[in-house]
Amino acid sequence: MNDYVAEMQQRSTGPSMSSSDIAIAIDHLTVSYGTSQVLNNLSLEVPTGSIFGFLGANGAGKTTTIKILLGFRRPTSGSARVLGYDVVSHHQEICQRVGYVSETNSLYDFLNIPQLCRLSRDLYRQWKQERVDHYIRLFALPLQKPIKQFSKGMKAQLALCLALGNDPDLLILDEPTTELDPVARQMFLSTLVKDVAAEGKTIFFSSHILSEVEAIADRVAVLHQGRIVLSEELDTLRDRQKMLCLIYEEQPPAEEITVLGRLPGVRALEREGRAVRLRVEGNTDTLIETIQARPYTLRDLQVVAVRLDELLLEYMKGENA
Amino acid sequence: MAIWLHVNIRSGVPIYVQLVEQIQHALEVGTLSPGDSLPSVRELASELSIAPNTIVKAYNELQRMGLIESRAGKGTTVLGEAQQALRERQQDALLERLRGVVHDASQLGVSAEVLRTHFESAVGEFFPETQWQGDKQ
Repeated sequence: MNDYVAEMQQRSTGPSMSSSDIAIAIDHLTVSYGTSQVLNNLSLEVPTGSIFGFLGANGAGKTTTIKILLGFRRPTSGSARVLGYDVVSHHQEICQRVGYVSETNSLYDFLNIPQLCRLSRDLYRQWKQERVDHYIRLFALPLQKPIKQFSKGMKAQLALCLALGNDPDLLILDEPTTELDPVARQMFLSTLVKDVAAEGKTIFFSSHILSEVEAIADRVAVLHQGRIVLSEELDTLRDRQKMLCLIYEEQPPAEEITVLGRLPGVRALEREGRAVRLRVEGNTDTLIETIQARPYTLRDLQVVAVRLDELLLEYMKGENA
Repeated sequence: MAIWLHVNIRSGVPIYVQLVEQIQHALEVGTLSPGDSLPSVRELASELSIAPNTIVKAYNELQRMGLIESRAGKGTTVLGEAQQALRERQQDALLERLRGVVHDASQLGVSAEVLRTHFESAVGEFFPETQWQGDKQ
């Protein structure tokens, strides 16, 4: 009953007290283009202060989700709130408080940086030019060139500089580093962590680059064909699965392999001669005891970490759904 | 002071666990002492380039273990009772290990008699005051 009351309060317009620790709340969101459903009953919460990696293959619906959050598109059904504001009724307010860096960076490309800054200053209530200048110097962007002469990477950097100009509480980035070379990407990401997240701001970024999500995010959600198939703390994922590497004295018979594959907690099995690799979820100790009690002698047994990028890739392919 | 902390995002160990273990270790070896202050969440996030929430999680865990305390305006400091709390944890872990040794011995066919004799002689070696009069040479 109380949950219902809280939910009704959430639905009233304007920011509510209870939403202050949730930067983004998506509730049963469905979006259709014509007859094709792009987002299917999607629910997601992004806690305030988190660095949230939003993963999915191309066409999974990442950009559509972001467009909904910024009020560029209307939900077919369901709702979403950003910083406590409803995305449909309060999209103006959201635009003032959220920084947005898009995949395509549709900047006014006939302007140069000082001209673009003057324009932005008029558009935002709390424009901080010193801050923008600081980042423009950091990325060493040229001041006099018109933006159409910028490389794609420079445009992404400029978009970040401008997005930070109105001191946003939430930064939404749509595949921001796709066009950056490794050096620029590293600088871009460390700016996000050191200057934005460290100040308690929330970062929500879509990506298909697993290594960068692994490096900076504390939470991750995976979108697969318009549905959320995973939403979890990365530290929880790091601990969830382990790889058991078994080396037998002699090659175990096929029946034994079948038995191993059916043991509780075993999610996947690979074998190669005398070596068997088990992907294991949950407590490994009991499983190891069980395996050691089997009649086939082990020469070696090791527990190794499962690579996070491999695990995330499986979710992106929909294999763990 | 943040310099001795480091994280490995690929090790498969949760990052907050890595931080907890390193700070615990620093207390054990005396790199950190009661009253010392720990870097703020912001400083550490910036220094290590990791998400601030992960550091909050590590600090919460250390607080729950009774090793540090965070106070508004005063930052995060190592508690006076930290070493005592740590000692108790180590003792618990050690007694657990002892159980493991006894378990392994029983599996290897060491008799209770032999085990007791060895245990007594080891105790006698490290706790001389418990020795019987007749044992003294």
